[in-house]
Amino acid sequence: MEKLTIKRIDPYRIRIEKTPPMRTTGLVYVNSALEKTLEHDMVLNQVANVACLPGIVGPSLAMPDIHWGYGFPIGGVAAFSLDEGVISPGGVGYDINCGVSCVLTSFTRDEVSSRINELLATLFGRIPSGVGSTNKDVRLSDKEFLKVLLKGASWATKSGYGSPGDLDAYEDRGSIAGANPDAVSKRALERGLPQLGTLGSGNHFLELDVVDFIADEERARKFGLFQGQIVILLHTGSRGLGHQICDDHVHEMLKAMPSHGIELPDRQLACAPVTSREGQAYLQAMAAAANFAFANRQIIIHLIRGSFEKTFGKSWDRLGMRLLYDCCHNIAKIEQISWKGSQRKVCVHRKGATRALPPGDVRLPERFTATGGPVLVPGDMGRMSFILAGSQWAEETFFSACHGAGRILSRRQAKKISRKRSIADELRRQEIHAVAASRSTLAEEIPEAYKDVSAVVNTITGAGIATAVARLRPVAMIKG
Amino acid sequence: MESLRPARENGTKMPYTLIDHTADIGIRVRARNIQNLYEEAGYAMVDILGASLQPGAEQIEMRIDGLDRIDLLVRWLQEILYFIGVKGFRVSDIQVTALTETNLSAVLTGGTAKTPLATEIKAVTYHDLTIREIDNQVETIIILDT
Repeated sequence: MEKLTIKRIDPYRIRIEKTPPMRTTGLVYVNSALEKTLEHDMVLNQVANVACLPGIVGPSLAMPDIHWGYGFPIGGVAAFSLDEGVISPGGVGYDINCGVSCVLTSFTRDEVSSRINELLATLFGRIPSGVGSTNKDVRLSDKEFLKVLLKGASWATKSGYGSPGDLDAYEDRGSIAGANPDAVSKRALERGLPQLGTLGSGNHFLELDVVDFIADEERARKFGLFQGQIVILLHTGSRGLGHQICDDHVHEMLKAMPSHGIELPDRQLACAPVTSREGQAYLQAMAAAANFAFANRQIIIHLIRGSFEKTFGKSWDRLGMRLLYDCCHNIAKIEQISWKGSQRKVCVHRKGATRALPPGDVRLPERFTATGGPVLVPGDMGRMSFILAGSQWAEETFFSACHGAGRILSRRQAKKISRKRSIADELRRQEIHAVAASRSTLAEEIPEAYKDVSAVVNTITGAGIATAVARLRPVAMIKG
Repeated sequence: MESLRPARENGTKMPYTLIDHTADIGIRVRARNIQNLYEEAGYAMVDILGASLQPGAEQIEMRIDGLDRIDLLVRWLQEILYFIGVKGFRVSDIQVTALTETNLSAVLTGGTAKTPLATEIKAVTYHDLTIREIDNQVETIIILDT
């Protein structure tokens, strides 16, 4: 591809001009400070590569937490026509439906601070975490496991993990339609079965935060948030099941691409027409992995509630542990968008991006109709996180917003600069308690490895895509 | 920024290089010929995973098909990853016994162990994967999703 031509449109957006073989422009949400973080890698080329894919509708988009991925960038959003467009497993990523849950509590920080170590130890003891973690307490027959893939979070609530009311707080009620276990390989099932109910490793985490600033009193009240409140963020996905499904279907699409006449600048963009046999098979398998991820998070939410019950001696509902929201970060969905004055259905890929629905959207649970859908934006483990709400202007991103801070350092760079430092001690001096399944995870996840999430949020709110509701500060965490 | 990992103690294998990638791990592997390149890439991944075992007696025979040699390399590494991550196999020796553009036969030697892995590799990606000849050697750069 020729050298990219980049133009700043306004303080929050830059455009990548359409250059052959791009079929459309690129639109990246970054302010000038965040733009400097893009210079280190090939990330804008990845936005441009996505713009080369057949049937793309509108620009190839990227959120302000964008960083270098493989194939699609992390933070990339792209919509494709159902008639002429494609679906790409690389546009979803290996960790299908990696996502975030936010569980509320009725506690203030002062009420938990004297028990925090005990609580953290209980959580760490009950929630399997770390490389290759498995959950021996969730033993399912093959037949029962297929129900997980078909039903998602509702399988979990029916099986005693949480309550049916939790489903009202899930994106798509915790189940993606169209899942077909026949499209899932035996190897994917083998990888996934023992890992249901586990956190995993890397950037997956469980975190207690305190609400330290309310930006929008009315929305915060409707979300159930208040100043000084302890809330819990959970970040995990479909574990080995999703990884294997992505592997399997990238390979199938690479085989089929010549017959569909598709040529790509990077094999990791492997794709097939949405309507093709390969495209449909991937959508069915992806939905199965997404449902696994919903069930996985619901089981962990149940384990979190149990840990609080043990520590504080009251039932979770008396402790106010309602699920605020659970959303996907890595997903492709057939969605209705407004484009050039008309409504049309497209396949929206979000790879490291959150759906951000505006007030009044019929897809929202009733409790969020007036506020817009919650957008959960976890930051790094030393600074802050945010809860936002989708706005009407999110139409221009196909109702998508940022999903986190976005890495700026590789894991190796992070480990190098944290050598001879005790990250746990540094956090403790800030009154943040951290435990990790491995010491290297804390080093890899140091705050300096990430962009300043407030700059990311300022960009997305400044562009009008979402509106700020509350800011959170970390109190305690488990890193996988 | 890059860093060189040393060759193994017997001195017959090539070192590999870690390449910075913001979200993942990149490795540059060199070997004297294409058959050795597949072996060296396998050793590099085993090293990153912390899945070495000395010595081992069990053997796994593997046959892999690919669309071309790049696809074959990805599928070969994915297969090793499966045996390490899912079956708990730990590796002492890797031998590619036969190789064409689209097929590979190999023997993994090692044993099953419960030692935890150092890193989780979700997948071996195709992202910008190349195999090229340079300075009378063969080189590949592979991005691993971690």
